[in-house]
Amino acid sequence: MSDSRPTSTAGPDKARFVIAFALAVLALVVGWDAWRLSGINTYSAVGPEAFPAIIAAGLALLALANAVEAVREGAQDRPRDEAGPMAWVLAGLIGQIVLLAFGAGFAIATGWLFAATAKGFGRGPLWGHFLAGAAMCFVIYVVFAKGLQLALPAGPLERLI
Amino acid sequence: MKHLFSGALLATAVAVAPFGAAFAEINELKIIAPAAPGGGWDQTARSIQHVLQSDKLVENVQVLNVPGAGGTIGLAQFVNSSKGDPNVMIVGGYVMVGAIITNRSPVTLAEVTPIARLTGEYEAIAVPANSPLKSLADLVAALKADPQKVSWAGGSAGGTDHITAGLFTKAIGIDPRKVNYIAFSGGGESLASILGGKVTVGISSLSEYDAQAKAGKLRILGVSSAERLPEAPDVPTFKEAGIDVEIQNWRMIAAAPGITAEQKQELSQTIEKMVKSKAWTEMLAQKGWANTYLSGAAFDAQLAKDIAATQTILKDIGLAQ
Amino acid sequence: MDTFAALSQGVMVALQPMNLLFAFVGVMLGTAVGVLPGIGPALTVALLLPITFKLDPAGSLIMFAGIYYGGMYGGSTASILLNTPGESASIVTALEGNKMARAGRGGPALATAAIGSFVAGTIATIGLALIAPTIVDLAISFGPEDYFALMVLAFTTVSAAFGSSVTRGLTSLFIGLSLGLIGIDLQSGQARLSFGVPDLLDGVEVTTLAVALFAIGETLSVVAAGARADEIIEPVKGSVFMNREDWKRSWKPWLRGTFLGFPIGAMPAGGAEIPTFLSYALEKRLCRKPGEFGNGAIEGVAGPEAANNAAAAGVLVPLLTLGLPTSATAAIMLAGFQQYGMNPGPLLFATNPDLVWGLIASLFIANGMLLVLNLPLVGLWVRLLAIPRPWLYGGILVFATLGTLGANPSLVELGMLLVFGLLGYVLRRYDYPIAPVVVGLILGPLAEQQLRRALAISVGDPLVLFQSPVALTLYVLSALALFGPLLFYVITGRKAPVGADED
Repeated sequence: MSDSRPTSTAGPDKARFVIAFALAVLALVVGWDAWRLSGINTYSAVGPEAFPAIIAAGLALLALANAVEAVREGAQDRPRDEAGPMAWVLAGLIGQIVLLAFGAGFAIATGWLFAATAKGFGRGPLWGHFLAGAAMCFVIYVVFAKGLQLALPAGPLERLI
Repeated sequence: MKHLFSGALLATAVAVAPFGAAFAEINELKIIAPAAPGGGWDQTARSIQHVLQSDKLVENVQVLNVPGAGGTIGLAQFVNSSKGDPNVMIVGGYVMVGAIITNRSPVTLAEVTPIARLTGEYEAIAVPANSPLKSLADLVAALKADPQKVSWAGGSAGGTDHITAGLFTKAIGIDPRKVNYIAFSGGGESLASILGGKVTVGISSLSEYDAQAKAGKLRILGVSSAERLPEAPDVPTFKEAGIDVEIQNWRMIAAAPGITAEQKQELSQTIEKMVKSKAWTEMLAQKGWANTYLSGAAFDAQLAKDIAATQTILKDIGLAQ
Repeated sequence: MDTFAALSQGVMVALQPMNLLFAFVGVMLGTAVGVLPGIGPALTVALLLPITFKLDPAGSLIMFAGIYYGGMYGGSTASILLNTPGESASIVTALEGNKMARAGRGGPALATAAIGSFVAGTIATIGLALIAPTIVDLAISFGPEDYFALMVLAFTTVSAAFGSSVTRGLTSLFIGLSLGLIGIDLQSGQARLSFGVPDLLDGVEVTTLAVALFAIGETLSVVAAGARADEIIEPVKGSVFMNREDWKRSWKPWLRGTFLGFPIGAMPAGGAEIPTFLSYALEKRLCRKPGEFGNGAIEGVAGPEAANNAAAAGVLVPLLTLGLPTSATAAIMLAGFQQYGMNPGPLLFATNPDLVWGLIASLFIANGMLLVLNLPLVGLWVRLLAIPRPWLYGGILVFATLGTLGANPSLVELGMLLVFGLLGYVLRRYDYPIAPVVVGLILGPLAEQQLRRALAISVGDPLVLFQSPVALTLYVLSALALFGPLLFYVITGRKAPVGADED
């Protein structure tokens, strides 16, 4: 998606420092898990801890390599990302999970996802899209859950049929 | 699409007419298959669904797949969300017993209401046709010489196959921790390693090896049943060879925790009627499953015995604390 | 020549009008369900199998074959058009296929996938009929040490094919490898990186990760780019069908894909993913215009799709000759066969030849039906991309979550979709390649299990890894893949043609 080439300016690339830090944390977690597993006492030529240990070491090296490249390549000018539209899409995904958790059922929860995503891409109104999305998802539910016995979460709407 | 929609219409018609269902004892039943579609538990659940509906024992049966971690995820969901609900049941089996222990599952079989054991399979030990091991006695001798030189191919670690291998070695006086067990994720892959002579012996359900044995590619050394099995009358049992191991990989159906005695009674009767039906017998024959129906107090006792024995052997193998 | 007599007999039965109708219905239903992301052919067949019960054996066998092929092709269609792979074997298709679709070349991409599948399916079916007994002996002789060498080859060729920066490529790969550790370890029964969360015990589902990284990650980066990313998606540019050049660039990858896919698919632990990776890497190496790789090279669709289909036919080799179900799809097919009174096993060819040849003929007819049905529909499918962006992406998210919920109705699974979607967004934003994450998740656990099996069988002796001629050959090929470009440079003094990075 990077159609505009990043150009380098002075100072290290902060974003890649953050990535290097995240990799270091991941290395620690995987390494800790390997250490925990090495205490388990079963017979095997190569235990469950060997691969995690290798991967943890690799992650640690990569954290270092990313940090070095962050300094060497310098800060990059990346086009600004817009937080608003992205927040709508994320709200759609998170909202779907929350709605399902509270038993709203597939049609309502996924209708909300559809409406929020459309809103994020600049198309309203939220209510109209929600109703259209919920109707569409209700039809999908009928076809897949009733026709094919696919287990999709049911809510008040789905129980009507 | 015609089949689909007529099916959907039918289901709708049934759901809106609850009082028209005088001929069925239970209106609605949801069966949880704690596995992905296609596996053994899923097929069991769908067979039950088919027979209950076709024999009009239950008006409307739904199967819900909750896959994961040897059935423990489905079990946890079942126990937590359907307390006291007489219209939900779960399919399970011996694999669950081991998985609950090795995964340290917070929910156990003690929390459900077991209804009946339905089907079961026995474990078998097989070697390639050209193997120097001719009998269980040869295998015992090889194990006593050096247990680590004998590699066993079977299903995932801590599963029925691994447990049987552990019980077998323990019964002949070898530390089950020394079992050189090679786990395979699918039956085909492990069978290929046995046929290719990559491992010393294979251990799995008899049905996995039966066809190969009939074709002369495998030799089955022994089975884990109490008596010789009709499908393999020439194969000795472990007990005949003096190895005191008897194990059945069974499948069962259980009801929700906290249901009343009457509700349990009604479900037990429905399942008993199903097991005695012609449709069920045909279904078992088609799938090649043995009818090992056991219910009530006898099943409860068997279950308790299996759980205790499994706990011990998994500790011996080193998979449980 | 009995073989051909039996096969043509089977084809005659399958060609009866009623049976053709069943094939048609099967392909339609299979495609409709297979399009859902996360629902691959195995699950599609499992869901639709009950529908076939009501038919006579011949009819249901044919419908079954139709569903199977429809399910596979549905996965490819979703990969190409929506960037939501339906199964792990069509992930590679999404890489180039979706780029093509966005550039108005979705038609040729769908066509080369369909025709490539047909060509591969046909050749592989003939292979199945003629050399199944020979190839199966070879396949069985593969031990864990040989499989490990095959994984090493896949790792080296694939990592050479993805991305221009070594650090970035390896970073993505290691993220994938770490994700592959999650869950219960098969060999020891121990839970790794699960932190007591029961839903993590089964590990990360490949399709969940792929759909999240590809579809959700992309939706997030497109929406975040706002007006800046107003790259207009052109549904059709140029011919909706393949032009002369497309044909010229497709036929060799079809054949090469077939020859990678069939034997590897026939191996008990080969699978369909590895041949698609190898095919992608190979086509990238051989492509005359390597710069197009990453921007929609038709070879990158043609080769892997053929490999995927040939591997699916290859899976039938151990299933029909030995009765070994070596994949989820094969296991569900086995259940299907038993439904029709056939018990796959070493004696099947001897005891039920008519059923076996009937099945092979059915697969053949279903494959043809797929082609007949889908080529005219290509124009219609690509119109999907003409949907305005808010609705297109809204629809993609609806389908992504529908597929995930359908395969595993768990909110934790949806949560993983969200988290990995964010990961995909971050990787895109900072120019890390996406595909190696998925490759790591697929290949890491396979390589680990095979290595540990090999060492357990040899009681810890590492020399076992280098004693088999097959393994040694594969290591030499890996070395060539890694150091080949360097050798090329040393010998000719020119830089070897290397493709652009993937994203």
